[in-house]
Amino acid sequence: MRTVAAPRPLHIVMVGWEWPPNHSGGLGVHSYEISKELTRLGHRITFLTPFGGPFTPVDGVTFRFPGGPPANDEKPPAAIDYPPAYWSGGTPESPFMDATDGYNVWVSLLEGLGPVDVVHVHDWFGTVGARALSKRLEVPLVMSVHSTEYDRSLGHPWQHILDREQIGIDAATRVIAVSRHLRQQIIDRYHADPAKMKVVYNAVRPSPRLERIDPAKRVVLYVGRLAVMKGVDTYLRAAARIAAKFPDVLFVVAGEGPEYNHLVRLAAGLGIGDHVMFLGRVTEEERDLLLAGSSVFVLPSVVEPFGIAALEAMAAGVPTILSKTSGVAEVTSGAFTVDFWDADEFASRIAELLEYPTLRAAMGEQGRWEALREGWPERARETVGVYLEAMSARGRHP
Amino acid sequence: MKIVLYLHMHQPWRLARFRYLDLGSGRPYFDIDRNLGIFRGIAERCYRPTLDRLLRALETHDEFRLSLSITGTFVEQAKQAAPDVLDKIRALVKTGRVSLLAETYYHSLAFLVPPPELSDEVRLHREMLRREFGAEAKVLRMTELAYSDDLARFAESERFGGMLAEGWEGMLRGHPPTYLYCAAPAPTVMLLLRHYPLSDDVGFRFSSREWNEYPLTADKYARWLGNTPGDLIGLFMDFETFGEHHHASTGILEFLSALPDAVRREPHLGWATVEEAIHGTPKDTLSVPYTMSWADQNRDLGAWLGNDLQRSAFEAIKKVGIVVRETHDPAILADWRKLLTSDHFYYMYVSGHGADQGVHQYFSSYDSPYDAYANYMNALSDLRRRALEKLGVPILK
Repeated sequence: MRTVAAPRPLHIVMVGWEWPPNHSGGLGVHSYEISKELTRLGHRITFLTPFGGPFTPVDGVTFRFPGGPPANDEKPPAAIDYPPAYWSGGTPESPFMDATDGYNVWVSLLEGLGPVDVVHVHDWFGTVGARALSKRLEVPLVMSVHSTEYDRSLGHPWQHILDREQIGIDAATRVIAVSRHLRQQIIDRYHADPAKMKVVYNAVRPSPRLERIDPAKRVVLYVGRLAVMKGVDTYLRAAARIAAKFPDVLFVVAGEGPEYNHLVRLAAGLGIGDHVMFLGRVTEEERDLLLAGSSVFVLPSVVEPFGIAALEAMAAGVPTILSKTSGVAEVTSGAFTVDFWDADEFASRIAELLEYPTLRAAMGEQGRWEALREGWPERARETVGVYLEAMSARGRHP
Repeated sequence: MKIVLYLHMHQPWRLARFRYLDLGSGRPYFDIDRNLGIFRGIAERCYRPTLDRLLRALETHDEFRLSLSITGTFVEQAKQAAPDVLDKIRALVKTGRVSLLAETYYHSLAFLVPPPELSDEVRLHREMLRREFGAEAKVLRMTELAYSDDLARFAESERFGGMLAEGWEGMLRGHPPTYLYCAAPAPTVMLLLRHYPLSDDVGFRFSSREWNEYPLTADKYARWLGNTPGDLIGLFMDFETFGEHHHASTGILEFLSALPDAVRREPHLGWATVEEAIHGTPKDTLSVPYTMSWADQNRDLGAWLGNDLQRSAFEAIKKVGIVVRETHDPAILADWRKLLTSDHFYYMYVSGHGADQGVHQYFSSYDSPYDAYANYMNALSDLRRRALEKLGVPILK
């Protein structure tokens, strides 16, 4: 990925969805982190969102939302109660449909943006509006794909959302995927021109290394949403294979989601109810504490376009086991990778890390180095490189 | 000036994926089909064509000579995968101008574990050479060309007339590598040294298009050999150099075939086996108080025991060895020895040095050194369990 510096500051209109502190998925984190680094490089961002804040402020980022004033306000109107970003269910009659439609109309009609260099849309929510806006402003459209409807729906995609994705992928001059695996999927399933497909990985922010905690029981950790595509059932089956051999080990599941009840019942059914602890949703601080006290981190996802939770674990020095299909597996050689369906192999890898302290230490060190050797600053520079490519492909030279 | 061409033939018994859950299951540690499959591939690309060319060279050039070391694990695999390869080696030995060297049967790190493992494995290897090739080895080479004063004393106690070592400046202290030396602590043990620049020209650089001497012809190479001052040039390399490390399409096999003629045209050049080469007057004595090898930039044991994973695995196998010996069970002992093969430790190498990491990845049969370590430790844990069971000792976790 080329990382040419822009010759002048760019103004980027980002057609987003969520923004911290109100976010449920990785998209909000990504928007925030990449925007912060882009503004550090001197670029200016207008971030469009259907939600009315509050917004964690970033210098150089102006927020615009339906019904809001044209600039950041001290007292924004109350947030509109939309379903979360990765909600995927319901019917075309649901209020969610109207919400994205309203948002798209609002985006396409938005005035008062001043000179704009690039429109950058994330995932499917705002593709229709972003396409219209970029056309009207006569600037290139860049689309970032963090996951596709196929990934989120486990093979039962909703046609309406596929259409929105297709619109963005077709209209964009450049498309950014968060892993090579996802890039290939977009080429195969959306027939995207490989020449316009780029990969920019996710990253983690280096945080102060917490003192390792020695809990009374050793901890094997999963952090993430409890959705079918996350493969947490495989993690529990793996735990059941080895729980009896490791009575001093607690298998922790941190996160919430539609599979919660099913997973609790599964743990009980497997006879490991007393070896598994369901923590529900944890804050960032709680997650960091959990990582500081964990011996092993597991990402058993059936589908995982990237898998930033695993990169967070590696950055905290926790040896990590990844499913082979995860995007994060592309950026590390210091983690074990396992086929997502292979509960025995997950069990063996967990047991090996619990059993061999030298292995735990070596993989922890290597993973930490790999997770932190490149960060959001590098990803922002790569993203600017994509903007410049898109501009020059459209005959616009900054 | 005599050229001492020595080629090393070895294949390890690579482990199957042996999961933690496989402990106590009775599953075999070694993936025989996969190992034999690899052997058949290399036999086709390297062993057969190269042995054929060497035999032709011996038949057409009375002065041509070479030496081979052949590990026990190589012979075990050849018997099952490609017995004709052994016949071809026998044909070479029959010419009387091919010396075989002694070493550890398992190409192992036996020289680093307590006695009598080293002498046991060297004895096993000598018996194998007699049985398979009717050969009596007079010169010893240690795994990965390891050498030290202690190993010279061992060679003396086993009545070897010579040993091979790396011609590394750190040990030579200004002596040229192109003469016969003897071991300071064991003067009856002659030392033949590897001329590493000329050996690596063929072993590593031959097919590199970035090399400013590319392409290397037999004539050019023979001229370099002819212009080298001294009595002996030790060209020591892997047998797999010919057709495997360098694919046949690089012209390496034609290079080998053309070499005896090219050498013949150089007035001062000839050939010698290792056994012939040790019959001379040593120029000086050499002392090496630490163990050196022919690997990597540092020529030490760092490639096998340089990191925590490797040292931990090695400490573990040493400990298990004590129990294994107590069992007097040949199957358990053989498995333990196969695990002592140096290649397993090589796979656990993690490097910061760019040049060496490439070489290590090429030779590894794992995705990562962590995979290699975990798998190895599982097999070793299972072996320990088997040994304890055999001894009737209750197994503690």
